[in-house]
Amino acid sequence: MFRDIWMTFERFLHSFGGMCLFLLRMLQFTPGVVLRRFRLVVYQVYNAGALSLVVIMISGLFVGAVLALLAHSSLEQFNAEDTTGIFAGLGLVKGIGPVLTALLFAGRAGTALTSEIGLMKATDQLSAMEMMAVDPVRYVAVPRFLGGVVAMPLLSAIFTAVGLLGAHLVAVEQYGVDVGAYWQQMQNVMDWEDVSEGITKSVVFGVVASLVAVWEGYNSTPTAEGVGRATTRTVVVTSIAVLFFNYMITAMYI
Amino acid sequence: MQFSRGSRSIFRDLDLTIRKGDVTAIMGPSGTGKTTLLQLITRQLSPDRGQVFVAGDDISGYSRLELYAMRKRMGMLFQNGALLTDLSVFENVAFPLREHTDLGERLIRNVVLMKLHAVGLRGAAYMMPSQLSGGMARRVALARAIVMDPALLIYDEPFVGLDPISMGVIAKLIRQLNDALGITSVVVSHDVHEIGEVADFSYVIADGRVAASGRPEDLKNEQSELVRQFMLGLADGPVAFHYDAPDYAQQLLGPSQD
Repeated sequence: MFRDIWMTFERFLHSFGGMCLFLLRMLQFTPGVVLRRFRLVVYQVYNAGALSLVVIMISGLFVGAVLALLAHSSLEQFNAEDTTGIFAGLGLVKGIGPVLTALLFAGRAGTALTSEIGLMKATDQLSAMEMMAVDPVRYVAVPRFLGGVVAMPLLSAIFTAVGLLGAHLVAVEQYGVDVGAYWQQMQNVMDWEDVSEGITKSVVFGVVASLVAVWEGYNSTPTAEGVGRATTRTVVVTSIAVLFFNYMITAMYI
Repeated sequence: MQFSRGSRSIFRDLDLTIRKGDVTAIMGPSGTGKTTLLQLITRQLSPDRGQVFVAGDDISGYSRLELYAMRKRMGMLFQNGALLTDLSVFENVAFPLREHTDLGERLIRNVVLMKLHAVGLRGAAYMMPSQLSGGMARRVALARAIVMDPALLIYDEPFVGLDPISMGVIAKLIRQLNDALGITSVVVSHDVHEIGEVADFSYVIADGRVAASGRPEDLKNEQSELVRQFMLGLADGPVAFHYDAPDYAQQLLGPSQD
């Protein structure tokens, strides 16, 4: 059993090291890609961002509504319903917004990235690029990685904004909390540090989710089963990594 | 040259020369490492022992930049075409030009249309790869392979899965392009008839070495049993019909091992 655990740990280290080197290689190509292939990056921002927009907005609306429901039902016992906005705001901006956006991003855009690159590998498109003296990391991986890194904070901001709107609908429209109190309490309590925590998280999660998706696709076994497994790994690894970094960043800000 | 995959030896003692300006066929039964040989020539793989020379240079010590410089002088046609599925036919052919040259848009357009015209697909320039038949996709890939005017053109199983008309078209293109552009061509195939029509020289690879070599018509008179089995397409011979297995009767009548 110890041998199995050790081998699993060894595999993890091998994969983690490979992923770090892959990230360094992508960062090395990033300035060139931004300068020479900016259109590719813009297309990938659209691909990863705009196409995830509907699922992000619908989820944000319901998550905000549920937060307001829970906050209101607890706070009304202390006659503090007016502070519902604080709980919804802090919850969405600092924690739930970036985390759920990253998890939804992994499920929607991350899996699409992995399977797209995996299929390109399975159909020899990456080998063909190598044979045309074009590095596939530069042409395929970097624009997709940058697209995800740019799209994630934007999606997280939209998720949070729509979530606040959902919370507003429940607290103000459904339960009759004063609209001025809802927004004013939120504004009084929340400061720049709360917002910067949310931004930091969404940027880190964007790097993590995009890196995992691109790495898994690039290193998938070029078969139908291999691409399927890589896609599953993208969701699992991203979810665990996002929850881990969420804890680390939250602890850093406290 | 020697090369193994894990414990399985692919090439034990392979020694062959591709002559400049010729169409050279690499033939052999399935699984003998023909595609692996192409990957060694293009240094997608490196040999365990021995050397690969391209245009007189040992490519084993090439840096990534030198390797890419060498590949710019090569064109490769993959078995399935390997067209970039998110680009149109035109953009696929223009891809190497856009990546490696600073040519103006008008010049790129003219070069691409000329190459597509050479493979008979100028009219398909604005189609997407998903709209092409297998034969058309391979011709587009061929146009892309020659767009940088390479000195060496490599074909990996160019006839697989094609109807007789498409096979004839590809065979004619291999010969025509080789002669018209003055390039060197290497064709990996097990289609004895089709390759015999276009090749100047052929190698038959088996058991990790060159089993026979010569002009296609000479290989038909080769006395080696293995080469005769391959050239005549016999079901049984040195390459056995049955994969290694325990005794048939004993396996059927003996105790089950499932």
